[in-house]
Amino acid sequence: MGKIFSSISCNLDENILSAAIPLFESEQVEAIEWSFDTLFKVRNIPGWFVELLTAFGNENRLIGHGVYFSLFSGSWSKDQQDWLGHLKKVSAEFRFDQISEHFGFMTGENFHYGAPLPIPFTFTTLSIGRDRLQRIYQACQCPVGLENLAFSYSLDEVKKHGEFLDQLVAPVNGFIILDLHNIYCQVHNFNIDFNELIRLYPLHRVREIHVSGGSWEDSQIIPGKRIRRDTHDDSVPEEVFHLLRQTIPMCPHLKYVVLEQLSNGLNTSNSRNLFQQDFKKMGSIVKDYDGQQSMLSQHRFHPATNPVTGHPMADRLLQAQQSILSNILESANGYEHAQQLLRTSILSNTDWEIEKWEPYMLETAIAIAQKWKNGFD
Amino acid sequence: MKVSKTLIQAMLVAVTAGLISSCEKPGVDAGKKVPTEKSKTTSYPDNCPACGMG
Repeated sequence: MGKIFSSISCNLDENILSAAIPLFESEQVEAIEWSFDTLFKVRNIPGWFVELLTAFGNENRLIGHGVYFSLFSGSWSKDQQDWLGHLKKVSAEFRFDQISEHFGFMTGENFHYGAPLPIPFTFTTLSIGRDRLQRIYQACQCPVGLENLAFSYSLDEVKKHGEFLDQLVAPVNGFIILDLHNIYCQVHNFNIDFNELIRLYPLHRVREIHVSGGSWEDSQIIPGKRIRRDTHDDSVPEEVFHLLRQTIPMCPHLKYVVLEQLSNGLNTSNSRNLFQQDFKKMGSIVKDYDGQQSMLSQHRFHPATNPVTGHPMADRLLQAQQSILSNILESANGYEHAQQLLRTSILSNTDWEIEKWEPYMLETAIAIAQKWKNGFD
Repeated sequence: MKVSKTLIQAMLVAVTAGLISSCEKPGVDAGKKVPTEKSKTTSYPDNCPACGMG
């Protein structure tokens, strides 16, 4: 394990920057993660923000984290092609040490609307995911990775997620972002032991860890059942810091530990203070482990050869299934209505295994899809 | 990592003067009034992957 950088998710946002400036002033931020595709509503990037990205990039401490690519969309869209073009341009402008994206497909019809939700783990989705990761590598020419998803429909899916991630990134020799709050969600939502779950992940591929907060939501259909959601709008629970202490020694190629919080959770001076305290606590844990292992990471996370790609892969059936699922989740009047619609849809008795979905997670999927169907508006 | 004082000052000016907003809000021109030399804007006409222009 080489140097581990204590980092923040840093975007062009008043609340985030207000919380981060004292950390920059005290030189505690060792790297920044920028969601390079979130400025689509901004006409101009201010020079000082370009300077900030350049300063960290020049020290190989700038990492990129995409939001909108929708890796597993059954269709291949002009928006995705444009996203790759944008990535290629920002990669020429700024020196990224790595680029990552989220697992799943975006539910929204509009490219910038919706939320990422899981897909079945099949040969088709594996092939599509690999194809698109190779295209991302071609665009950015630096290590490419994927973040584990917080949401799952079933325990079986939770247990298979890590292995599927491993298979996905293998052709590009890619890395995994292990979001520990997402793991924390899985542990609570499916009552699985952390030590059992963490060993199902390809920890040798973990180059980055995310820590963040979230929120609890009571199930309306199962009394007493509370769902943990990765809303990224609150301070980091102590349990997640505990998971960080446990996980760092298991990840020999770890390079970045990133504190993530959305703007809407940083709109008061108290919440910004908590963010700064969380960062200091995170940095302290990182320092406890940093440099303890003498073996420097030699893992470069580059493919042996530049991947060659032809026409982008797509699958009409997967596209139709995703479109119908998105429509159901975004329009259903509740769990029972969604169940009824799903049972009579083309998703019934397929690899989606809707028959095995936990009712409270379908309920949560409806809440997520309906929350984000209009984007950030 | 050390960040220059002028850069931090430019960030502070932008934040305290309300010259940037949440990037979640539509139609924001994030750099339109930032008054320092460091804060000259850089145009990214292709900044929006979807619509080609924010």
